[in-house]
Amino acid sequence: MTAAFTVVEPVMGTVASITVVSERTERVERAIAACVARLRDDERVFSTYRDDSDISRLRDEGLELGDVDPRVAEVAADCRDLRERSGGRFDAHWRGWFDPTGYVKGWSTDAATRAFDELLADGEVEAVGVNVGGDMRLRTAATSDHVWRIGIAHPTHEGELLATVEVVDGAVATSGTSERGAHLVDPRTGVHLAGPVSATVIADDLTTADAWATVAAIAGIDDLDWMPVAPVASGIVWEHGRTRRFAGRVEVSAFHDALVG
Amino acid sequence: MKKIVYALMATVTGLVLLFSYRTSTVPESTSALADAPSSDVAMVPKTTPSPSASASSGSSSTSSGSSSAQTSSSGLTDGAFTGQAANTRFGPVQVQITVSGGAITDVQVPQYPSESGRDQQINSRALPVLVKETVQAQSAEVDMVSGATYTSTGYRTSLQSALDQARA
Repeated sequence: MTAAFTVVEPVMGTVASITVVSERTERVERAIAACVARLRDDERVFSTYRDDSDISRLRDEGLELGDVDPRVAEVAADCRDLRERSGGRFDAHWRGWFDPTGYVKGWSTDAATRAFDELLADGEVEAVGVNVGGDMRLRTAATSDHVWRIGIAHPTHEGELLATVEVVDGAVATSGTSERGAHLVDPRTGVHLAGPVSATVIADDLTTADAWATVAAIAGIDDLDWMPVAPVASGIVWEHGRTRRFAGRVEVSAFHDALVG
Repeated sequence: MKKIVYALMATVTGLVLLFSYRTSTVPESTSALADAPSSDVAMVPKTTPSPSASASSGSSSTSSGSSSAQTSSSGLTDGAFTGQAANTRFGPVQVQITVSGGAITDVQVPQYPSESGRDQQINSRALPVLVKETVQAQSAEVDMVSGATYTSTGYRTSLQSALDQARA
């Protein structure tokens, strides 16, 4: 078993923790640098905090999608699709202008993690996990028996875990109102969620997991209607001490509650 | 012992009914592919607790089943029990329960329905397991922590930060 090491880089107003299970070779260092560079370049294009980002210029200068970086049109198409599939629980246009902040981080992390494709294919890297602000894409080489063991932070008991999940190759995302600075708005009403609520979704990629974790948190614990049509593997929703779990498009925790009483 | 098995069978029938209730909320387009949920499910007690991924992760209560089965006042025998696969419209679903100290301490779905088979690898381990008594990340031996997005300031006091420092 090769030892793992972690590199920490500030990006997108949060922190990216990149954990690599491999020797620390020059090739691996180059892949880490490429991964961070991709995250920062997507931030340059999509940041709503920068007046010169493509997103800000689209809003302020009356530009069309064709006038800005092609990544914006790609993300805009994804967001339209997600709004439809989530029954409006996700809507990048709810403020009247296009703000894909809730979508870009997961999408960008998937793209950035592709910097390790070759290293994973030829086995130089056994596994790599890229955690950006609490949402992560996890990759494991086909030749490795590595399993990622992920803790889900308890939404109100700081420093403690609510649940754990094991993933070989996939993504884990959590959305909620619980951490400092985190807030969510229901796009259907414009109302800030009172919370505390926390939703974790596991899917094949972080684009999907992150988007549907947001949908799940907005929907809240009493609304799992979105779940049977969501392209996700499993998840857990927590609100005011209640939990519900689902896997393979069926609810699991309801059985547990019904049985234990 | 026979009585216990019947009790478990009743439990599983309850589970299957819940499954069919759940799956009935799916749109018509997918239900066209469906088989009717099967109700002829019986529990098959295992002689030893299942060493599934879920049993070893976090929840202390799931690892306590001993090879000598003990029956408590609740009528449930300690150990892990796996039901026969029930056919749902999504494919076969198989339920496993863990009994410890006479109480059901965990319910898992070891065989997940999968429309394509494509996500079978991730599904095989990706069910979040509730941590019974909330524990620190270090004692749960996790590689990473998922949580609502933290700011760069919030990161400094996060569990992820503590893990990163240990591995820098």
